[in-house]
Amino acid sequence: MAGKSFLETAVILDTRLAAERTYISRLRSPQIVPIVEAGQFVMVSFQDTLDPLLPRAFSVCDATGDTLSILYVAVGRGTRKISGLFPGEKLILNGPLGTGFPRMERGKNIWVAVGGSGAAIVPILSRSAGKAGSELRFFYGARSKSQLVPFEISAYTAHATDDGTAGFHGNIVDLMKLELKGAEPDMVFGCGPTPMLVSMQKEFGNRIPTYLSVETPMACGMGFCQGCPVKRSGDADYYLACKDGPVFRSTEIEFEVKP
Amino acid sequence: MPDMKVRIGDLELKNPLMTASGTCGYGDELKGYFDTSILGAVVSKSLTLEPKVGNEPPRVAEVACGMLNSIGLANIGVRRFMDEKIPILDELGALIIANIAAKRVEDYVSLAEMLAASKSVRGLELNLSCPNVKEGGIEFGTDVKTLSNIVKLVRKVFKKTLIVKLTPNVTRIEEFASAAEAEGADGVTVANTYVGMAIDIYTMSPKIHTVTGGLSGPAVKPITMAKVFQVSKSVSIPVIASGGIFTWQDVVEYIIAGATAVEIGTLLFTKPDAPGRLLKGIEEYMADRKIERLSSLIGGIRFDRDNVPHMNHHK
Repeated sequence: MAGKSFLETAVILDTRLAAERTYISRLRSPQIVPIVEAGQFVMVSFQDTLDPLLPRAFSVCDATGDTLSILYVAVGRGTRKISGLFPGEKLILNGPLGTGFPRMERGKNIWVAVGGSGAAIVPILSRSAGKAGSELRFFYGARSKSQLVPFEISAYTAHATDDGTAGFHGNIVDLMKLELKGAEPDMVFGCGPTPMLVSMQKEFGNRIPTYLSVETPMACGMGFCQGCPVKRSGDADYYLACKDGPVFRSTEIEFEVKP
Repeated sequence: MPDMKVRIGDLELKNPLMTASGTCGYGDELKGYFDTSILGAVVSKSLTLEPKVGNEPPRVAEVACGMLNSIGLANIGVRRFMDEKIPILDELGALIIANIAAKRVEDYVSLAEMLAASKSVRGLELNLSCPNVKEGGIEFGTDVKTLSNIVKLVRKVFKKTLIVKLTPNVTRIEEFASAAEAEGADGVTVANTYVGMAIDIYTMSPKIHTVTGGLSGPAVKPITMAKVFQVSKSVSIPVIASGGIFTWQDVVEYIIAGATAVEIGTLLFTKPDAPGRLLKGIEEYMADRKIERLSSLIGGIRFDRDNVPHMNHHK
């Protein structure tokens, strides 16, 4: 369950274009940074505006010193507006929220699949794996090379693109399946579009402990509105993505994929 | 410290600020964000006799200055609320008003009987207005006779403060408010959400699983303001305004329009620490204007009845 969280007025330090339509904004957030764990999220809202109205959920991208970063693809009204704010302008952060990835342990091998804005978790996971002494391998998928963010991390990173402009020509789960023939990771993590997560659940969920960060419409992020249900496996009931998740063991949940 | 006390039936609230049902979980979730005891009252999520799973996702979507929701009355059921949540709310110093919903008239009565037995439950709000599930009361809330019958039967078993939450999705909400008053309700909440809809133009699918959902947020405030005004002119019991409150000025505006108390909802999703700021703003407004009792503002709108076309029409 979610632990302590803060509402913090955070000053934007800078925003940079990291890949096509993909931005990384760094904010000063001294209360949230020390306690955030990989896979947890923050709700980001604007001061004094009613449109956009609701806060936006972002997986924390990195947290170090007193600086928190978020990575996002600027496609909606909220993300476009955030990308256009200047250093010194303020956003309201509510976090850390939710349940993140399980603790990493020394000597464990963890394979991490990310896609789209799910790549946000690469820096924070690398940082916590470094502290824990676990070995990470990243599998990073995008539609095209221009959408891949060049992260400065030491971990092995394999790319896949739908158009073949970088790395493996195809989807990231197929690439993982190929590489899995010679290796057996201790855990698999995933953060990205729902079809990627569905495929990971199907391919790896039954044989490797697999943890998936789900994405779902969310209004409050705190359990107030009950607006972000995630189906429990083998049960008529729901989890809430904001409190029970957003990271779930893949065997705990069912994806409700439309035909 | 100015006097912000207001009264609904026998219940005195220290101030007019209440939470709207379904916008703060069971109330205990608020505790990390502000001292729950500063509120006039905490209204629970709609409770049903048996736990309810709620609707399939997507349950929420943002629209201009508002949001659509279709949660489907997901809740842990009245028994677990009484066993697990009431003790927490008591410890937080919250004044508890339980909101109930049912698909059968007799279930409203059973729920009211159970909750009447709890000393901590100081009032009841009947949800006769959920737009998102068949069994959420909307069918009861859109028929004056049925509404009257439910209020009458619940009134018999529940002696504490009884509030009826009305739907705005009717032609003349005043008729429903008057019916509730006639059967002994102590107050009416104006209003639940408005039936609304949004479509994703790329997938061509509705943005809410149930296709339509309930619209809330600042977008609805002027519409609800008019209904609060109309209802307060039609009944003599307190009106509780609920619709798009985001600032302390909104609270004062509703009170001047005729509300005795207000419920905040969508605001809690965006600014969960807002209640303290709203109360501070009202306090400063009262001090500035040398208003000693907030209740003296209720229905204080200065207007000429002759200027209101629909009022002239009815009177």
